[in-house]
Amino acid sequence: MTPSLQPYLIEREPYYRAAGNELALFAAAFARGLPMMLKGPTGCGKTRFIEHMAWRLKRPLITLACNEDMAASDLVGRYLLDAQGTVWHDGPLTTAVRFGAICYLDEVVEARQDTTVVIHPLTDERRMLPLDKRGELVKAHPDFRLVVSYNPGYQSVAKDMKPSTRQRFGAIDFDFPPPAVETEVVAHEGGISPALALQLVKIAEQSRALRGRGLDEGISTRMLVHAGALIAEGIAVHDACTLAMTTPITDDRDLQAALAGFVEAQFGPRS
Amino acid sequence: MTGNGSLLAQRLEVLRSVDRASFDTLLADPAWHEDLPATDAAALVDLLAQVASEAADAAAALALRLGDLVSTVPDPASLRKWALHGLQRHQHHPKARLQYFERDDPGAFADLQAEADVAELLTQRAALLAYLAGFGDSTHGIELHEPQAAGQPSPAPSVADAVIRFPRRCAVSGPAAQRRALYRASIAHIAAHLWHSPLARLAGSRRPMLLATIALVEDARVERLMQRDYPGLHSLWGAFHTATRESAGFDYAGLAARLSRALHDPGYADSNAWVQKGRALFEDAAATDLHDVPAFEAIGRRLAIDVEKMRLPLLPAYRPQPPYRDDNTLLWNMNAALPVDDEATAPREDYEFQPRDKLPPELPSVDVDTRRRTRHPEWDHRLDALREDWATVIESGPAAQRSAGNRFAQKPAHRVRGLEQTPDRSIRLNRLAEGDELDLTAAVDGAIRQRARLAPDGRIFRRHGHRHRATAVVLLMDLSVSTQRFVPGSFTTVLEVEKRAARVVAQALDSGRDRVAVHGFASNGRHEVHYQRIKDFDEPFGAEQQARLAALQGSLSTRMGAALRHATALLDGQAVDHKVILMLTDGEPSDVDVVEEEHLVEDARHAVASAAARGIRTFCLTLDRQADRYVRRIFGSRNYLIADRADAFAGHTGDALVRLVAH
Repeated sequence: MTPSLQPYLIEREPYYRAAGNELALFAAAFARGLPMMLKGPTGCGKTRFIEHMAWRLKRPLITLACNEDMAASDLVGRYLLDAQGTVWHDGPLTTAVRFGAICYLDEVVEARQDTTVVIHPLTDERRMLPLDKRGELVKAHPDFRLVVSYNPGYQSVAKDMKPSTRQRFGAIDFDFPPPAVETEVVAHEGGISPALALQLVKIAEQSRALRGRGLDEGISTRMLVHAGALIAEGIAVHDACTLAMTTPITDDRDLQAALAGFVEAQFGPRS
Repeated sequence: MTGNGSLLAQRLEVLRSVDRASFDTLLADPAWHEDLPATDAAALVDLLAQVASEAADAAAALALRLGDLVSTVPDPASLRKWALHGLQRHQHHPKARLQYFERDDPGAFADLQAEADVAELLTQRAALLAYLAGFGDSTHGIELHEPQAAGQPSPAPSVADAVIRFPRRCAVSGPAAQRRALYRASIAHIAAHLWHSPLARLAGSRRPMLLATIALVEDARVERLMQRDYPGLHSLWGAFHTATRESAGFDYAGLAARLSRALHDPGYADSNAWVQKGRALFEDAAATDLHDVPAFEAIGRRLAIDVEKMRLPLLPAYRPQPPYRDDNTLLWNMNAALPVDDEATAPREDYEFQPRDKLPPELPSVDVDTRRRTRHPEWDHRLDALREDWATVIESGPAAQRSAGNRFAQKPAHRVRGLEQTPDRSIRLNRLAEGDELDLTAAVDGAIRQRARLAPDGRIFRRHGHRHRATAVVLLMDLSVSTQRFVPGSFTTVLEVEKRAARVVAQALDSGRDRVAVHGFASNGRHEVHYQRIKDFDEPFGAEQQARLAALQGSLSTRMGAALRHATALLDGQAVDHKVILMLTDGEPSDVDVVEEEHLVEDARHAVASAAARGIRTFCLTLDRQADRYVRRIFGSRNYLIADRADAFAGHTGDALVRLVAH
């Protein structure tokens, strides 16, 4: 492995608790070289999953959070100036393609559609990346893989993937794990007892029933982990839930009152 | 006679013109207003006239009782609320309405505590519905019980027909947090029933005592089940279990409350044998299987038999305790036992299914009224409160039938100046020859080309873009009968002038960007506010629309508030930066069923204020020279223009539009 990818290797196992057969599915797709798309609500474990897989498959992972200001040159690279003249800098995508890493484009629909088109030649049989500014054609390293993620919940029609982009990917649908699994995750990550974790999970389940009634998304596993960690550090349960769950998720007073009610339904009235 | 006295005389005169019979009844007993300040008496006469304009028989009944009512009900405001409630509730049932005005007790509306509790519950409603949804039920709504006459016990919450009804008076009178906890406790308890109780079982011939006792055990059972999933509910409910031997007593209600507490709170000790027996039986069954409904019903049965042996009666005032518990009507199907309430069943009619070929061939054709009806509230300034669903706006013709027309962007006929653009940071213009800041990518590219000895591109700046602000305008035309008049000093009718102004507005704005609608209204009492869409937002101002505009006739009266509210609701759905209602009128609001001065003016003022709260500006152009008196109050001091010359009106309208849109 080239030294430049060394920092992208994940050394310690990131905790991931599988809810289904996604590990096997991903490994199979990975072996086949299929670009993958991870769909699911925010905070349900997509990013953790890819980190875990990168560790498991012992591949460096280059992550890019996409935004609408991102241009194609942010992905593939650009010329910069130095004292002697111009110098080419590979973008993160080019680095991954050249040396064989997993390139993970987080929230890929946030990037403009004309930007994401640069991945097209990489994601079919050609497996190559033309750098037109440099006049170079980079052949993809056999170990290069492309993984993108997005959240189907909160997009407008304007922010959607082109069918031509979509059809190049295999996809795994993520959702919040079943209560038993989610409890295990929260207990492990938050460092709290399974009984307490179960109560937090039940609050989240009630909040997820409010999807479409003012909440875009329910309380996520990530929020539960945060709340759990706060409780483990000795913060009172109600305060931890308010700080990590009910207050951040919405600005609507009525919904906050209802969410506080769900906390109360688990832990009793605030004393 | 004093000034106020003459006010009363004046209002009585109005009453005489509306309803002679009530006037005579009032005059026959002049003592009724002896103890009242003259303004209150005048307000009551107005109220009577208001009732008379809707239902003469009810007004006669009210006039007969007015003396008695004034002496029993402390303030005229609650009498007013009571009368308006009756008019609204029984508007389609003249018989029930007459009965209401003959017999019903207005005392319930004098309960100030209940008023405050109701106001608070209504602010909580959205939160409580979301709370209920969290327990997996999104079908039930939250409403209020009918007001209780003074002295009657407050009802328990009840669930029926997908509605949870709370009593108007909250059962606890502690701080607000405690009342909210009570509402949550109720919702959680009802959710427990909805999850775990078999609903609407046939009650058959079981006695009320038996039903109440079985329900008590059932309450405890579903709460126990619910606490498995939601352990915090134990202490939420526990806060209301306060019955003790001393406080609750030894009658059935007291024992029931103590048993409820014993079943809820393992730490509660009770010496009563019945309570102890109930607890032992319940815990035995609970240890086996909480889902075994017949076993728990058997416990209720045994306990009920014991109570009957003790000869404790079930009083009619019995409510399940603690107060968060509902009245358990959702558990039982009382089918035959209930008297038929024709109010509740009137809209439902039973049809017998008949095969098609057996139908008589000559069925009378029924005209279906396809006009859309929308209810709007109306502001009652005397009560400082909204009368919910008071006015009905009727729109003629379903919108779907209208031809969409070709909606090509038309260039405005004459440009309205002052429509500046707003900067929009989400639009970025890159690679410009001049701009606010350096476009870094372009600058680096330029430098690189320079080093590479290529001709550099000088366009290395960027700036934020601008975009046109989109405006939606509703031009609201007063089409009342008074618009048939000629404008003083000219040979043009008011309506003609309004039409001219409408043409100016419809053609002034760029239809590619701005959305203009021309609507008109005329009212015939609160149940019939006619609303016409001459040109809608999505239509071009084409031949069809122009013909519609030309064909308008003036008739009926001017209920401005309802029309403003309707236009507000229509504008609310438009996704634009500016929303404007431009009202064209020739006089103050009035309607056939309103005798009180000021009422419609104040209502219109409230409608304008609620529109402003939704970000909608209103502006009024009037041809009434004496309009100063009321337009300022309705629209605010800067939002009206009195144009008293017919020829200048259309021009003024255009100017007003520019002012509104440019701001």
